[in-house]
Formats: sequence, structure tokens, C-alpha cells
Amino acid sequence: MTEKKKCCSSCCCQEESLGKQMTLAELPVGTTATIVKVMPKIRGRKKFADVGLVVGSELLMEAHAPLGSLIRVKVMETSMALHKDDAANFVIEQGTRDEK
Amino acid sequence: MKNKYRVALAGNPNCGKTCIFNALTGTRQHVGNYPGVTVESKSGTFTFENIEIELIDLPGVYSLSSSSPEEEVAFNELTAPGIDLIINVVDSTIPQRSLYLTTQLAELHIPMLLAFNMSDDARKKGMKYNIPRLEKYFGSPIVQTVASQTGGVRGLLDRLVQTLSELEDHGVPMLTYGADIDDAINAVAEKIEALNVERLRHVPARFFAIKLLEHDSAAMRIPEFESVFEEVEEQIKHLWEKHAINADTFMADRRYAMLAGACRDTISMTQERRREISDKIDLVLTNRYLGLPIFLLIMYVTFWFTFTCSEPLMGYIETFFGFLADSIGKTWSPEKVPFLRSMIIDGVIGGVGGVIVFLPNILFLFFAIAILEDSGYMSRAAFIMDGIMRTFGLQGRSFVPLVLGFGCTVPAIMATRTIESDRDRAVTIMVLPLMSCSARLPIYALLIPAFFAGCQATVMFLIYVIGIIAALVAALVMKNTLFKGDGEVYLMELPPYRMPTLKSLLLHMWDRSRMYLHKAGTVILAASIILYICNTFPQKKAEEFSRNYDAEIASVREKNAFGPVRLSLAENLPGLSKEQIAEVKKERHLTPELLEAVDMKKLSLLQKKLVQSASETNDAVKALENARKAEAMAWTISGRIGHALVPLMRPIGFDWHATTATIGALAAKEVFVSQLGILFSQGEADENSHSLRTILVRTYTPLQAFCMMLFCLLSIPCLATLAIIRKELNSWKMALIEGCAMFALAYTVSFIVYQGGMLLNIGTKMLG
Repeated sequence: MTEKKKCCSSCCCQEESLGKQMTLAELPVGTTATIVKVMPKIRGRKKFADVGLVVGSELLMEAHAPLGSLIRVKVMETSMALHKDDAANFVIEQGTRDEK
Repeated sequence: MKNKYRVALAGNPNCGKTCIFNALTGTRQHVGNYPGVTVESKSGTFTFENIEIELIDLPGVYSLSSSSPEEEVAFNELTAPGIDLIINVVDSTIPQRSLYLTTQLAELHIPMLLAFNMSDDARKKGMKYNIPRLEKYFGSPIVQTVASQTGGVRGLLDRLVQTLSELEDHGVPMLTYGADIDDAINAVAEKIEALNVERLRHVPARFFAIKLLEHDSAAMRIPEFESVFEEVEEQIKHLWEKHAINADTFMADRRYAMLAGACRDTISMTQERRREISDKIDLVLTNRYLGLPIFLLIMYVTFWFTFTCSEPLMGYIETFFGFLADSIGKTWSPEKVPFLRSMIIDGVIGGVGGVIVFLPNILFLFFAIAILEDSGYMSRAAFIMDGIMRTFGLQGRSFVPLVLGFGCTVPAIMATRTIESDRDRAVTIMVLPLMSCSARLPIYALLIPAFFAGCQATVMFLIYVIGIIAALVAALVMKNTLFKGDGEVYLMELPPYRMPTLKSLLLHMWDRSRMYLHKAGTVILAASIILYICNTFPQKKAEEFSRNYDAEIASVREKNAFGPVRLSLAENLPGLSKEQIAEVKKERHLTPELLEAVDMKKLSLLQKKLVQSASETNDAVKALENARKAEAMAWTISGRIGHALVPLMRPIGFDWHATTATIGALAAKEVFVSQLGILFSQGEADENSHSLRTILVRTYTPLQAFCMMLFCLLSIPCLATLAIIRKELNSWKMALIEGCAMFALAYTVSFIVYQGGMLLNIGTKMLG
């Protein structure tokens, strides 16, 4: 557990130096976004990629689970549930191509 | 053209693949497990136009990346030789997502047939497909299906036969990863080609080259490829340095890009997509505030449905087994092979019947679960419960099995199959037996009214809470020891709500119930026979008994036999039939059966006295018979083991009676009560036996009774549980660890409570 925390904090530090960027974990419910970067240290990178969580994918934050840290994201027409810890590894830009 | 083919059915989870499988094979299915993993394997055979087709239902996967046991199974099945055709089921409402797997399947160069399923939904959504164009992209024929409707797969069958007849000239997919990556793939593929591995000859080298570049674990494990690793790393480095490409995920990126192009080219949307009904339902069902109460309500309705529907059926089954035992007892005279006779009547029918009684429960329960699963609600339930369960090192999907554990551990363990993560599933299975199952209820129902009359509900509640706490703590401990680490990444699809089809519900229910029946036919059968033998042998010979019971019984009977006066009084008792009166004359006594027939309300004073003395005689005879039974019991294997284990069990407050009963309870916990009954000379007792309670109160302190309940609660519920744990975790070791760990836990807790209670003088005073 401690190892993971260390990794997360180091990622965030890196991010801060790059300027304020939003991650999937912070996306408000009901808004859309596009993935612009996937953190290199993410666990299960391939698993996420296989369901369409890749750079350029458009997302819709559908809901937060009651209690706990699950979020529900619509990607490629499918609702996927994942943890906020993992979601924090996806850097996003709010809005989608269509909207712009 | 051959007349026998092997066809693999592949597709994403929730794409309607199982529906197609059921529609094609019907009930001619074989369900099993892949060796070494907990993934279910399914295959079925059907004949169409004189062609025999063996259909293999691969587990639902998003990709062939071997990042989950399901994907590894699919990878191994598809790279093994002998598959003539792949039917790839595609959810046509979400083509981009579903075709991702198709791009990888196409690389295998096994002829493929694409089934665009749920085409009715896609049409409703306003999606139009240019099928001939799509067929070119994937080099495979495409057929549109609606598997949930009868006749919706007819087109698939026709096309299947046609495709099988043209296997030789299937097309080549026109999918590429772009020049930079293709160069790397070709370089690695050449090296693989040069290895010339005989057993992998049927799979294109390009497929393995792509997998190796992706660092796919299943491909990396193929020993022949070790010599290629150097080239692979070289190419990955090259891609990274020259083109800044991270091969791990770039394949996924490119595949999706490829598909985006293909889909733009071939699929058109004619109308703006409306917000789907499914999403509207979810606004309520997974609402942050309403979600939890609604979930609890649905759980309540599920259990209510299960128990209400199954109760009358259970009654019938009980009656049936009672009737069976009776009629065997009547037709098989006690003189002929008496041992086998009583083993079948008492051992086998009692043991197996006791398990089959729960079958209606299991059937309805799994029917209800199948509705929840097939409709798509189960994953919502997991979504809602995840937060709470994770606090204890479990996850959302663990909740339903844990609640089922209050009913019966065996089906509850079977219900853990919905948990995708192997590790979470193992932890859930291991802690499940700590939830107080209904077989333990008779023990509490016997002991609590006897020892804790003033606070029955509180003690009962306390016992259940102790079980829950023990399970949650055990889960936490296991997560931090045996199953340490972060485990698998949690990623779960929430499929749109769908109306389940009756056929798939019934098949689902039958699959699981069959396993339960299988268990009753094997493990329970064996256990009941062994237990019967242990409880019966060695038999004490008549001369070995400390007293001559037969003579004593005879003398009691003789002493109280009716003289002429009392006999005439007895013959005129109200309520007796002619045969019964004849029996009274013969016996010169009122046996318990005869007494039952007497109409007690219409007795004269003298008759009352007569009846009273007769029942006193009966009690005396019964007491002698029971004393003989207890003595015989002490002489048997069970009794001896019980005596031998007393030094071990005394520190937790058990005497030899309780110890022996515990051994019997290994087969099933409710046996504890009937064993105690036998041991305390009360004959066949049940939890309502008043006389047994009286004796228990005179023998044990409340503290001892409480420790007995604790021990029964925390030790393994029955041998069938161990058997099912072995089966579901595919490991004798885990089953053994579970059995020992639960014994250790039960012993330690009872020890602490008993010794602590003795020290502090709590509950050490006899009540009787």
C-alpha cells in the first residue's frame, strides 16, 4: 500500500510541475472529457486500454457510487466502473471533439 | 467436406454470446471447469443438415491479452490446433468496442464468421450497416442475429453451413498497424518463422509477433520463443527511440484508431441517439442516496421469494423420503441383511434426503440470482456495495454470496462465481463458512431456550453477530497475509438492462442445481455411510452390556402387565379400533402407539388412572432402551473417538457427549442435536425436545452451552462445504487449510471464552 501511495504522490508532483491538469478522478458527474495522457506508472494499463481507455477516447462521467471510491464512466458506449485511485492516472481535457 | 467440425464461440462479456450458445445447442451442453483456473468451460454438440458441430463457448473477453484468467483460457483454446471456425459474436449496438476483439481474432487466420447480434436494438438506435464493406475489412462473412428471439439465429445456422463448406477460401483482413509498427512486427515474425515450431505451425507467426511485442504473458510463457526475446526487446527499443511508441498500449491505440476508421466508413447513424431507458433506470437504481435502500429491498424480496416458494415443495420432499424409508422398512424384513437395511433407511435416506430437502431452496434461489444477473442488476449491486465491502478487504460482488451464507454455505460458495477477481473470490469463499448457516440453527434452537431463557433473542443475535464479525475480520486478516498486495485492477462493465429470457434463466438455474445434486449423490452419500458405520460399529454384544437390559425391560413389562380387571377396563377405552383392542389383549399393556389412539377427553376416573400407570411403564421401558442405546453408542467408533478426544476438548468445556456429537456434526451441523439426543438416552431428539433440554441443563453450565454454540458456529459447517471449497478453488490444499484454520479459530475462541468465563465466574452455575 505504501509503495502505491509513494508512486501516486510522485506522479502528482510531476503533474504539478507540468501545470494544472485535470484527471478522470476529478471529473464532475454529468460532464464529458477526452483523455489526453495516460500516466506511465498506471497498474493494469493494458486492461484499461483494451476497454477503450486510450488517449483520444471520449468519456462521460455517469455517476459516483454511494460510499467508497468507485466511479462509473461511459467510454465507447459502454459503462465501466473503476476506482478513483486508478482513474487519477488518466489526464483529461474537459469537453469532446464534437463540442469544440 | 468433412461432417464433423469444431467451432469456437468468441465475444465480449454481455454481448449475447451465451444466448446464441443456448439457442444453438439447447440443453445438450457440457459444463465443467478449465483445469487450474476457476473459469467455467462450456461446450455442446448439435447436428444441422448432416453436419455435426461441436461448439465451444469461450469465456467472454474484451481482448486476447491474457490479463485475466478468462483471457488466458481464450488464448490457449484459440492457439491450440483443431478449431475449424470461430464464430465471433459482436454487439452491434456498440460496434467499435466489440470489434476490438475481432481485430485480434482475425490475426489468428482461423476462418471466422461474424454474428452481429442485437441487430434489432441497433436498428432502433438508428444505426445502419454497410455489411459487404465491413465483410471486406475483416475478410469474413457477417450475419445479423437477434439471439434473444426465437428463430433469431436461423440465418446464422444457414450461413454457418455455407461458411464451413468454403473454409478453404476465406478472405484476408485488410487491417494494418501502420508502417512503423508493421516493420517491427515483420522483423519479429521472421525470427519466429525461422524457429519453425512444429506444434504452433497452424498459428501465423505474425499473431505471436504482435503478442510478444505487447509483452503478453501467455505468449511470453511459450518456451520455444525464448530465443526471440532479444529481437523483441530490440524492436521495442527501436520503436520507442525512433518513433516514441510505447508498444504495450500502442497496439490498443492503433486497433481502436483502425476501428474508428472502419466504423466511420461502414456505419451510419440516421437519428440522434436518445437517452436510453437503461440510463434512466440507473438514475434511480444506482442513485447515491436511493441506491442502497433499493438494493436492500431487492435482496429482501429475493430471499422472501426463495423461501416462500420453496417451503411447500420442501414439505413434499420430506414426506416423500419418509414414505420411501417406511415402505423399504415394511417390505424388507429386519431378518434379511439387517445391517444393510438399517444403513439404507437410517444412513443413506436420512443423510441424502436431508440434503435433497434443500433442493427447492437452491432452485428458486438460483432462479432469482439468474434474474438479477441476466437483467444486469448484479453488477449495479456490486457497484453500490463496493464501498462498504472494501472496508473489510472484500468487494461489491462478495455481498450477495455472504448473505446467501445465512441460508446454506454450499450454494453460497457456488454463487461466488460472479466475482471476477480470483483473489477476492478466494477470500470470500474462505470466510463464507463463518456466516451462520441454517443448519446451525437447530443447535441454537435447542440450547438457547434451555440455558438462556431470559434473553433468547439477545443471545441468538449475539451468535449471528459473532459469525459476521469473525468473517469480516478473517477477510481483513487474509487480505493482509495470505492474499497480500494490490491484486487485480478493478474494472467492471455495467451492461444495459435487458429482459432475461426464460430459457436462459432455466438453463442457468439447472446448471448450478445439477452441481448441488451431484454433491448430494457423492460426498454426502459417502459421508452418511461412513458416519452411520462410525455410529453403529463395533456393536456391543448382549453379554458385554453392564446390565441385562432385555431382562430388565421384560421384568418391568411383566410386573405391570394388566390383570383381568384392568384388561377389561383397557378394552373399553374410547377411541380404540377393533385391531387395537386385539393388540391390547395380546400385549396386556397399552403401548405408546395405543395410548396415542385413546381419546383422553372421554375417560372415567379409573380409566385415567390406568392410562397414567401405563404411560409410567412406557417411560420406564423407554429409559432402559435409551440407556442401552447410550451404552452402545459409547462402544462405537464415534463414541471411542469422543472419549479419546476428551483431554483435548475439556479446556473448552466439552465432555465426551459433546465431543462425540461434534464429530457426528462434521457431516452436517444439524446432526449435533440428534447425536446429543442419542448420547443422552433421549432417543431421536429434535430441537424442540423438552426432555433433552432438561437433561442438558442438569449436565452443563450456561458457559459450556455457550461454548458449544460458539464452537459449532466457528468450525466447518459440513463436509460438503469442504468438498465444494476444494472444487471451486481447485485445490485440496486450500480446503485442508480452511478446515484446519476454522478448527483452530473455533477452538481458540471457545477456549478464551470458557477459561475467561471460569476465571470471572460468569455462567458457571448450573441451572438445573
